[in-house]
Amino acid sequence: MKKAGKIALGLFAGAMALTSLTSCTTTAAKGDGKTFTIWASGSDNVKVQFEQQVAKFNEIQDEYVAELQFITSGTGAESLSSRLIAAFQSGQTDTEYDLIEASDSEIVNYLNQCGEEFFVQVDTESMENYGNLNYQPAVGEGYYIPYRGTTVLLAYNSETVPNPPTTTEELYQWIEEHPGRFAYNTPGSGGAGSSFVQTSLYNFLPEEALTSADEKWANEWDQGFDLLTALHPYMYQSAGKVVYPNKNQGTLDLLANFEIDMCPAWADMVISQKMQGTMPESIQLVQLDPAFTGNLVGFAAPSFGSNSEGAQAFMDYMLSPEAQNIALESMAALPVIDFSLLDAELVQNIETLNISEFRSVSIGELGTQINERWDREIATLG
Amino acid sequence: MDRERQNKILPYLMLMPAMAVMAIVVIYPIFSCIVTSFTQEEAGGFGFENYLYFLADPLQLTNIGYTLAIVLVTVVLAVGIAYLLAIYLRFSNSLVSRWIGKLYLLPRFIPGLVAVNGMITIISNSGLLNRLSRLFGADWQLGLMYDAKGIVLMNLWFNIPFATMLMGAAMSAINNSEIEAARDVGAGKLRIFWKIILPLTYRDIFVSATFVFMGNISSFTTPYLMGGNHPTMMGVTMYNLYGNQHFGRSAALSVIMFILSALSAVMYIYVNMRKDQWEKN
Repeated sequence: MKKAGKIALGLFAGAMALTSLTSCTTTAAKGDGKTFTIWASGSDNVKVQFEQQVAKFNEIQDEYVAELQFITSGTGAESLSSRLIAAFQSGQTDTEYDLIEASDSEIVNYLNQCGEEFFVQVDTESMENYGNLNYQPAVGEGYYIPYRGTTVLLAYNSETVPNPPTTTEELYQWIEEHPGRFAYNTPGSGGAGSSFVQTSLYNFLPEEALTSADEKWANEWDQGFDLLTALHPYMYQSAGKVVYPNKNQGTLDLLANFEIDMCPAWADMVISQKMQGTMPESIQLVQLDPAFTGNLVGFAAPSFGSNSEGAQAFMDYMLSPEAQNIALESMAALPVIDFSLLDAELVQNIETLNISEFRSVSIGELGTQINERWDREIATLG
Repeated sequence: MDRERQNKILPYLMLMPAMAVMAIVVIYPIFSCIVTSFTQEEAGGFGFENYLYFLADPLQLTNIGYTLAIVLVTVVLAVGIAYLLAIYLRFSNSLVSRWIGKLYLLPRFIPGLVAVNGMITIISNSGLLNRLSRLFGADWQLGLMYDAKGIVLMNLWFNIPFATMLMGAAMSAINNSEIEAARDVGAGKLRIFWKIILPLTYRDIFVSATFVFMGNISSFTTPYLMGGNHPTMMGVTMYNLYGNQHFGRSAALSVIMFILSALSAVMYIYVNMRKDQWEKN
């Protein structure tokens, strides 16, 4: 009995020593003015990308040390924004939230809730690579630096559709002329279908509506829903019934197996699947007019972080051709710098996609309302 | 501490960790789910709003009915086929039977998601069967994807081995001597079945049916990947409600599911408690 007690005490003391040691090292690292923490979330390919970029960043300079805190989708990414807002509202300073990855619609959300003091102004003059940037974000000028684009495009099979539609009107006409050859995924299950539905509704509305969470716009959706109802009978069918697959991948699977000829799809999904060989070479992407929605994704440094210099250095690095090449190779991210600066071999995959601007959407809660109304009115049409 | 007292306390002490884990990961979540289900979204406070939503909305009633229909068809087919299979495995000693006896458990070791995707690859409208048919100039469109038939097929794939396992155990408890004795006094195959096999195993039919019912009423992966848009099974409905931030409604739906499962559990308990005439002395 005594012996066991001694062992337990020893283990306990050892554990205490270890924890105090580790806590020492973290405080040391935090206070040294070198280390800063990057917060990002998303799917695994985003993580793979950042791991490479962070390693490279730490390798090529020794002024700062970047650390990555990555939150995989569906494991509390939602709470990151709540944690940030809570930290801001409780007046914290000197936190480890040095740099956050966010899409422009997320930035709008932070600004709406907390105002511009939420972020640190960036000295773009001193950023070596800032001149490379081809896009001006619609929001957050001066503190929000985009590093990649992501957008929904029309994916089509170039063997069966030699002349793809280039406007939404042409697309709707094509759908009616080719029953059963088009599909979009349920808007609640993935961004591609959601973008198709949202643009179908909002193409009838003034462009400002697309960046407003005002409830009044919900009254103006009828025309769009009528359009979706009219298109319904011409959608993909299985066993004699119209079917909207679940998930973005659901429609892409139909496209890859030639069950359909066209669908809205995330550009990066199609490109990376073509790179992996799971998507046939004949599948191409085209931007419609008016466009499906897309986002710029970038970085901003919260004002309550402790190392905004390090954060800025990393934002700068992300605009370098090297970092852009990594983003393109690891996740088929659309570059935000001129294609001529990039690895020519990688650019081959996206050559035709010189997208002049991303049609950003940020309608807050209304997105959920659209999905619910769609579930109720369109999914039940049978 | 004297040994007698130790012997009394020890079992409880040994149960403690398991009970504590149960309390944290099962009992507390159930309790909090029930509380959430009565938390009203629109009117605020506590009340039956979330439950009324399911009872008043024809869309949701269709979903519940659709779920029950799929589950009941699954139960009848899975248990029926499994029962015949269990009899075959027990009383046949052929090579085929021995091979099936070895193979039928295999599906239990394949992760659900892999199995569903495997099935989709085979039965989808551009799947393996369709491609084979095209080699012969036909173009079979099975129409099993995005349809209740496909969900039932997949459920059978999962549940037949499971039910066979349960009823196989009951079959192996039947003594050969009993069968032989009956045969000696001139009983035919059908008579042996009615008078010996069925009475000895009917309880396990109900037990398997209960388990299959409970396992399928809350299924998600299969209907999510293979089902259509409307109606949807309750698991998918709940997922959508939760995704749209209707926490109270999704909690109410889980309580409804829980009640349906509890009803089938009542049958399980009833059948198990029941004593047959020949068992009473």
